[in-house]
Order: sequence, then C-alpha cells, then structure tokens
Amino acid sequence: MKISFILNGEKTTLEAAPDCRVVDLLREQLQLTGTKEACGSGECGACTIRIDGQTRLSCLLLAAQLEGRIVQTIEGLASGDRLHPVQEAFVAAGAIQCGFCTPGMALTAADLIEHGRAGSVKEIREGISGNLCRCTGYQKIVEAVQLAVEKTGKAPQR
Amino acid sequence: MIDANPILHVGRSIPRADAAEKALGREKFAADHYGENLLWAGVRRAGIPHGRLRSIEADEARRLPGVLAVLTHADVKGSNRQGVIRKDQPVLVDDKIRHCGDALALVVAESRRALTRALSLVGFDHEPLQAVFDPEDALVDSAPRIHEDAADGNVLLAGAVRTGRGAAALDQCDVVAEARFDLPMQEHAYLETEAGRAILNESGVLEIVVSTQTPFRDRAEVAEALGIDAERIRIIAPYCGGAFGGKDGISVQSLLGLAASRFPGRPIKMWWSREESFLSSPKRHAARLYYRLGAMRDGRLHALDVRAYYDTGPYDHLGGVVMALGLEHAGGPYRIANVSLKGWAVYTNNPIGGAFRGFGVPQVTAAMEQMLDRIAEKLELSPLELRLRNAVRQRDKNPVGVTLSTSTGLVDCLKTLETHPAWTTATAWKAAAGPHRMRGVGIACVMHAMGYGPLVPDTANAKIELTPEGRFRIYCGVVDMGQGNISTYLQIAGDILSQDMDHMEPVLPDTEKTLPCGSASASRTTYTFGNALIEAAGLLRQRIIERAAGLLMAPADDKVVLIPGAVRHLPTGRDIPLADLARRLGTAERTATGRFRAPTAKEVVTDDPSLRLHGMAHLLFSYGAHLAGVEIDTLTGRVDVCRYLAVTDCGRLINPQLFEQQIHGGIAQGLGYALYEQFIADKGRILTPDLTTYIIPSALDVPEMMSVAIEQPEHTGPFGLKGAGEIAVDGPLPAVANAVADACGRPFHTFPLTAERVLDSLSREKQDGGYRR
Amino acid sequence: MRPVHLPRTFDQLWDTMKKSPDAALFAGGTDLLVLMRIGRIDPPALICLERIDALKGVSSDDGRVSIGAASTHTELMSDPIVLQHFPVLAKSLRSLGSPHIRNMGTIGGNIMTASPAGDTLPSLYVLDAVLELRGREGVREVPIQSFIKGPGATAIGPGEILTRIFVPEKPRYGLHHYEKVGLRKALACAVLSFTAVLDLADGGRVRAARMAWGSAGPTVVTCPGAEAALVGERLTGGALAAAAERARAAVTPITDVRASTAYRKTLAGNLVLRLADYADRHWEGNDVDGI
Repeated sequence: MKISFILNGEKTTLEAAPDCRVVDLLREQLQLTGTKEACGSGECGACTIRIDGQTRLSCLLLAAQLEGRIVQTIEGLASGDRLHPVQEAFVAAGAIQCGFCTPGMALTAADLIEHGRAGSVKEIREGISGNLCRCTGYQKIVEAVQLAVEKTGKAPQR
Repeated sequence: MIDANPILHVGRSIPRADAAEKALGREKFAADHYGENLLWAGVRRAGIPHGRLRSIEADEARRLPGVLAVLTHADVKGSNRQGVIRKDQPVLVDDKIRHCGDALALVVAESRRALTRALSLVGFDHEPLQAVFDPEDALVDSAPRIHEDAADGNVLLAGAVRTGRGAAALDQCDVVAEARFDLPMQEHAYLETEAGRAILNESGVLEIVVSTQTPFRDRAEVAEALGIDAERIRIIAPYCGGAFGGKDGISVQSLLGLAASRFPGRPIKMWWSREESFLSSPKRHAARLYYRLGAMRDGRLHALDVRAYYDTGPYDHLGGVVMALGLEHAGGPYRIANVSLKGWAVYTNNPIGGAFRGFGVPQVTAAMEQMLDRIAEKLELSPLELRLRNAVRQRDKNPVGVTLSTSTGLVDCLKTLETHPAWTTATAWKAAAGPHRMRGVGIACVMHAMGYGPLVPDTANAKIELTPEGRFRIYCGVVDMGQGNISTYLQIAGDILSQDMDHMEPVLPDTEKTLPCGSASASRTTYTFGNALIEAAGLLRQRIIERAAGLLMAPADDKVVLIPGAVRHLPTGRDIPLADLARRLGTAERTATGRFRAPTAKEVVTDDPSLRLHGMAHLLFSYGAHLAGVEIDTLTGRVDVCRYLAVTDCGRLINPQLFEQQIHGGIAQGLGYALYEQFIADKGRILTPDLTTYIIPSALDVPEMMSVAIEQPEHTGPFGLKGAGEIAVDGPLPAVANAVADACGRPFHTFPLTAERVLDSLSREKQDGGYRR
Repeated sequence: MRPVHLPRTFDQLWDTMKKSPDAALFAGGTDLLVLMRIGRIDPPALICLERIDALKGVSSDDGRVSIGAASTHTELMSDPIVLQHFPVLAKSLRSLGSPHIRNMGTIGGNIMTASPAGDTLPSLYVLDAVLELRGREGVREVPIQSFIKGPGATAIGPGEILTRIFVPEKPRYGLHHYEKVGLRKALACAVLSFTAVLDLADGGRVRAARMAWGSAGPTVVTCPGAEAALVGERLTGGALAAAAERARAAVTPITDVRASTAYRKTLAGNLVLRLADYADRHWEGNDVDGI
C-alpha cells in the first residue's frame, strides 16, 4: 500500500503493509531507530512520536493511519546538528542516564512546552506520566523541562 | 599522585559526554542494530516449572515458509552450560526443564512474523516432575531435587559467620526483638530488553553486538558453551538501555552465536519482547529472613542472630555471591560484638534469582533497619539516637569482624541528617496531616561494599592513546549501562591531561579493541577502572611532556605543561600542537596502559573457602542515612512518600551531577521495591508478566528527592572516590517501612507495602482497639 | 498482512463492512491493537473510524449534549461544553491511562470495550447517558445501563456502530466527585473507582444523589439504597456510614493480581466516606464544582 505523509518536515511516500506498526515502519523500513520500543502495549511511552502536533504511541499505530498526516520523530526535533532547547536542557540538567526513554521523553517535553502545559512541577509530572524511566527517578527530567521553559521563554498558558 | 596541575574537571558537574547523542536519538543501542538480509532468532520456552524433557516436535515449524532452522541442544557442540561460578544453565535444555523460562528450541526465520508463527508450532514432550517453590521447603530432604548432580541437595551455597558468643549472647541482653521478614522478587524492568545481533563474518569471527554488562566474560562463556575458540569470538557492548544487574550474565549471546554459526555471513538479530524478558531473565532474590536482635539498656547492640534464605531459582546466576553479600551486610553498619549469621542460597523452580543492583543487601537492610526501630521502641530511645550510639566509625570492626580501615563516614551522615529540616521539622509536619491522613517519618542506615571480595581479583586494565589528530582516545573496558562511568573516565583523563572534553573520545567496550576490565557491577566501575586510568594517563602525560621537552630542546621538563590541544614551554611560551607531537611519535609511544587491582580485606572472617570465594568479606564500603516522610490515606491504605532524604558517604565526588543521578535512580527503584513492585509468581508461573501488571513508579509516584553528599575522601579511590552505583537502592524500603510504622504504630514484615496490605493492617488495628503510637 | 480501511463517511463505512464482515473496528486502537499483539484476536481486516467527521465533536442540542463516539479523551477533557455541564466526566478522564493514551483513546472505544474497569463508564451511568447506534438501515438509541451486558459484551447489533453519546443537561448537579484507586497514579487500571454527582441545597443537605462504582462487578455498579441514605442528609458521619455499608453490600468485585475481593469491598464503602471532605464547603445554590 502506498502511503504519503510529511515526516520530519519532508514529504514522504513509501510502500508499506497497511497493518505494519508505525514503530516498525520507522525503525526497520526507514532506519530511524531513535524511536524505541520497550513494551509494545502502550504502557511505557518509549515509542512516543507526534502526529499533527499531538503525541501518540507508535506501537499502537498502523502505517495506514499515517496517510496525510504530519509526523515528527525524535530525529526531527533538532535542526540538523543543532539541538532543540529541550534536548539542550536534558543534556545540561543531567536528565539522561541510559538514554532509552529519552527520545519519547524529549518529544513529550517539547509537546508540553509547545502547548503551554509545563507551567508547574505538577503539570510537568502529569505531562510525562506516560513515559516510564527506570534510571533517573524523574527529578532531573522535570528540572530539564523547567530549564527548557526558561530558555524558550514560553509562559504557561493556563 | 598528580603534581601541581590545576584541576580542570574533577569535582565539577560537567554534562555527560554521551548525553547529546542520546538526546538526538542517534546513539545506537544493541536493540538498534539491524542488517541487510537480516534473520530473526527466537526461543521456544518451556512454560512449565519442572519436567524431564523427552522430545521436541519441530517438524511443522521447520516446514513453515520463511523458517530456516529450528535448533535444539543436539546442535550445541560445546558444553551447553553457562554460569559464572557454577555452570549449570543450558543454552538449550538437554535434560530437565527447571523453570518456566527455560529455553527449549531456537528458531531462525526470515521475518518476525514467520518467527512468531513458528514458535507457536514448536511442541515438546516431557515427564512432569514435582516442583518446589519455597526455599525452606526446598531444604527438606524429601524435596524434589533441582540439580541431581549438586553436592548438597538444593543448596547452591550455605554460609555462616560467627563472632563472640554468637546467638548465645542474646541471653545477656536487656531487650530482644524478634521478627520474620518476607521480601519479594523484583524485576529490573530496564527499558531496553535483552537484544543483540550476531554475524559469523568472512574471517570466521563470530561478532556479537549485545546489551551486556560483561563482554569479556560473555566471550569466555559463549566459547565454552558452544565449543568455539574464544579468539574467534568478538563481543561488542554498546551503551545499555538500562541493566541494573539483569544483564550481568548470558542472555542472548550464546543463542545468537548458535544461530549465526549456522548461517555464516547472515546477520541474525534477537530482541526479547517485554514478556519474554520477564519470563527468562533473572530477578532480585526473594528472601525470607529470621532476625533476633538484642541490646543493653544503655542502647548498645549486643547480639544478633540471623537466618537468611535466598530463593535463587533454578540456576547459579551469581546466587551464591548475592547471598554471601547479604550475609556480610546482615548486621548493618553497627558495632555488634556477638553475631551468628547463617545464610542459604537455595534452588527452586521459581524464576531465576540473580544480580540486581543492591545484590542481596536490600533484603537484609530491610530487616535489620526495622529491627533497630523495634529495639529503639523497647528502649524508649529515638531511632536516630540508637543508630548514633551503635554506628561504626573508622577502626571499628563491623558485624562480621572486618576492621574498617578505609573511610567510614556513617556518623557524619547521621549527624547531617539530624540537623536537616526533613528531620528537624518532622514533628510539626506529622501533626499537620489532613482528614483521613496519617503521617510518619522513618530513617534507615545503609552500607554497601565495593568489589568482588578477598579472592576473585577486582582488576582493570586501562589503555589511552594520543591519536594522530592530537586527541586522546580512552579504551574503556567497563560497560556503561547508564551510570555515566564512561563520561567519568573522560573527565578523569581530561583532568590529568589538562584537556577539554572535546579533545577526549571513548572507545566503548569491545573484546577486540579494549582491555579486560571486569564487569560493570559491584559498585566498582569507576573505582577500579578509574585507578587504572589514572596510572595510564599519568604515564602518557609524562611521556608527552618528556618528548615535547626534547623537541623543544628545553633544559628541564618540568617547565613544559599540557594545555588543551597542545604542549607549552612556559619560559618561552612556545606551543607544540598535540597533533604535531603525535606525528613524531610511534604507535607504541602514543599509547600507555595502566593496571589496577583493588585492595582486599586482610582479615579472614570465615574458614570456609567457598564462602571466601563468593566474596566474604570486603574492605571498602560506602555509607548512608536515609529519611522518608510518608502520608497514609486511611480510607484506601495508600502510602504517599512526601519527602525523601539521602545523605551519602561515597568519598569525594568526581562529578556531583552524575553522583546525584545514581542516588535519584537508586531511590526510585528502592521506592518501587517498597511500595509498588509486587512480583507475583504462582507455582513458578509469573502472574505479573508485563509492565501493565508489574507496577514500576511513574513520574507521579516518585517524590522530590533530596541528596546530600558527605565528601570524606577515600585515599585508595580515584581522586578520593568510592562506589555510588548501588547504595541508594538499599535505603528506601526500610526507611518507608519505619515511617509507616511511625504513622500507624504497626510494623510490617511482608513487602511491598501495597495499599491493600496497609489498609488490611489498619483495619485489624481498629479491631484491636486503636492505634498504638 | 491485513487490509486497513479508513472510511470518511458512513456510506463508505457500510460498504466496507459489507465487503469485510469479519473486519474488526477501532478508533484509537489502544485496546484492539494490544489484544492483537498478544494473539487474543486475529481479524482478517481492520476498519479505522478516526476519519469519519460525523463521529467527532461535542454540541448541545435540545437539552442534550451530543458527544461524538470517536472523540478522544484529550478532546473531551478540555471541551468547554463537557467542562461546563459534566466536570465529573472530565475528572474521570484525567486518570485514564496516560497523556498519550488519552490522545488516542476514544469514549466510544471505552464503551465498546466494556471493561468492568472502563474509566468513562461510571460517569456515563450516573449522568444517564443514552447511546446512539447506527447501521445502514437506520438509527436507534439505548440507555447505557441496558447497553453494557457484561465484561466485553454489549447490545450492539450486527452491522451497527456506536455513533454518539447523548447526555441530558438536566438534572443539574452541583457536586461532581470522582476518585480512582489504582496501583500507581498514572497508567493504572482501576482497582476500584467511585463516582458521585450530588444536588445540594443551601446549607449542604443532599437533594439528589447518583453514585456508581467501577471495577466493582462485571459492569458498573449502582446502588439506589446508598443514594437514598444520603438524600435529606448532610455529608457527615452517620449518613455517609450508612451509604458506605449499603455500597459494600451492593458490589461484587473479583480477586485478581491487582487486588482482592475483600479489599475492593472495603474500598467501595470507604470511598463514600471521602464525601465528608466536602461537608464544610459553603453551598450557595447549585454552582457546579469545577475541575
């Protein structure tokens, strides 16, 4: 089946099995291994990507559903080699240990900030509550998001 | 020691060297390796806890389109046995099935779909055997034998340490407390499940990229198990997506090697699903502990009697070492003149008990720290006061009889806790509990040994090279599974060589490129390798300065110093770029190696050679004091941790941010162990087989954590450092348990403290007529 | 390899359903795809409903709020009409799954999955939601209490889909309360949940009460006896205790890996006692307790 969508800002058309999981399409067919899989059942958030500006779990999305959509993966967060402010903040704040949850976590954080939902520690923790991390205990991730909010000067919308 | 070189990096919170690539999603984990014409390998697992294997039915699977092979033990040419101390785990079962996760057959297919279908078609015939699921039951003479060839029934290892009058001294005590504790299995739940990719390349070398903590040991194990020359095996260990001990040992390596050998030139990938990881990988040992602790009226602990049963499941998997370390820590960091400590690591048909951050110590700490609070109650002393009176200081003997000649900062940890607002405001905080809420504050002391004990050498070999481009390449042999040790190595070497971090590059562990350095475990990854690296970097630095002085024809080489990117002759201000210098040196001159073997305890606390081999006893310990403030919802029983403080003695900090990362992560896992992570197995079958039913904490479940470091230097450590990787996980369960007991007046002995357990206890409390405070 | 259809209109949907009668329907996929992964179901084809505009949107019409079945939980949580009229529904959605699951999962999916732990269901019961079912031949309406038959079982007919959820705007309740007990605070299947909407007079006496318990039986549990125990009373000790006791007797929860029957029964009663937290609130008229 032919599927056309915008991937990380580029128009993309490809052939894929319609019921191929998007996480597999990204990792195996497109060699974009930044999106991870850690449970396959929507429980951990490691496979988080963005569709039309909203976070989704790519392990529970099928290729056919991408038709006509705007898709962003972790590879599309930075501008070339220049880190997105969220990525810079994750690095500076020590929010990365093993790094396996990081792509999903960073995209989620960027999404929160973009939608003005990173105004308080409580809001941030709720916002990342669907992304499990086994290494950090979440505290430095929250600090990183707060740092990124400062950097981007995004005021909370609520 | 380093001469008058300005410290550039050590002590500073430099961002990690691996962070940017991970933030970009560009860092490739083992699970991210694929290949052209990739084959997929997967395992048919037993699904029954105990049985004698009769035959495997694979014909239907083999006929499936896309299936290239179904391999069994008959295809394994070597010993078909794996293990670190006792090699008792098969690559593919050839005699008995000993747990539900046992591997029976290996399917190789062209697609994951074909693989999944084929696995469902592989059957087997077996003779069911009686199984055993409780470690004390397994010790009974009539219990089913897990390993018929084991020397001592179902005992993997038994150990005992006795000092003074042992348990008899309890008779002399003014107060005695007694309790039994049941600690559950805990699942690592690293986000990257077990994964690897292997290929038998055109030079006949079996190359395996794998998520592992032990590349060199893996190579030896694969060689022996499969009957391949170790020289023809190359293991490459990228950054692990978490491990925590669960990848301290063979997972996919031999299976991949078997498949790859069968299809030379084809890349073969294996990546365990979350459910398969739950089923097959080792867990933290479930443990049953019987404690009797006695003290004198003046607050001195006087006698301790412990019996500790560690359920090690069907295979060695370091289970004896875990039990031995637990036994060594069973008395905690206290002065106790009379102890009788007995431990057993027992075979059962439960899931495998193996290495998990903490390694036997969380279990005994859970028990001992609660026993201390029981004694404090009986003596009407504050829990803090009792601990201060008995805490070990440098030169004391610890409960197993080792003189603490290395840095011992426990008292400073306790004194710091004592003046911290988390403790000083405790009374007021507890009184402010709202409707349907009870609050409590509890503390726990922790200690954690580093290294492998007196017999197994804890050594590391570091190699460092000045590249022709003028950069420094550190050959790191110890795996980085997220703890940031590789970044720390760059920081150490950068400091000694006066270079910026962008002049440093790591080579990740690779049996073909890096030198053997031991496992990423035992809180040793920075201590041991760091010391070897200091030697290597120092040698290289000296050599560079000498050569540069020679080139400059400078009279004395102590006026030549390294600066970022160059060597400078101070009197003239002349610089030689490192790249220029490098071009004038031969390869051997540009490379320096260092070797370090960690010091060991001189006292022999046991004449049991097996117990010594398994680690009894250690020399270097980190210490800490933890505090938890909890709020119980009396309508639901839910325990919320509202405040958490860890005061830690890990020597001097090379990178405070990295240190804090370890403390935070350890606390979070410890809180999971305390409150959420109920691993349920019923007759060997796992009833919590995935992340939906096995609950690890989310961002809404972990509180704000406060971490304070007591920086007392440890003179044998690199820049004064001690290990920090494990100690934080030892504290939360007892701190929380003590806090809950403080809130509701009842102690708890079975864990985790789920809301249901707590509410159950509270309602029984009500029936007994009120809460005892 | 399965075909995956994405119809845009009902006509396209009926045609597809006719050609693939055994196709499985989904909108968000958060339940269906999980079941497929573990091999619990293996449909020959899939029909995704997310592109049918007629299944989206929230509007107020003729005294009823009409919610599109393919509305995602995130959409409903922030919808002004939902927040104005039924904050209890929005409250219950906040604890469903995770932010990502809420972006994908739909209220229609939650109803059709008909899990005893379905997070939207108790609110829809106390609000007397009515479901619109549509097939090629026509449309019918069924109250939610009659629609859900048991775990995973509904009264949907062959060739029908759930299209809209109607919630009457009256009666209007001043107090909207929801509490879910899970094993952690996110990504948690409900061990037990308690939903209550109350109409309170000035001075805090209960004029009307509707209550429902989730994960407390094969379907949502309601207890008129518990409701009656509160009517005419204030939200304090005796009345709440009486309601709690009746609730404990009414629920029939199972024992599973998450919790025991005994614990769930205790919770069913205890969560009613939580209403005491509202007792000191100053009630003026029937202002709706917002989020």
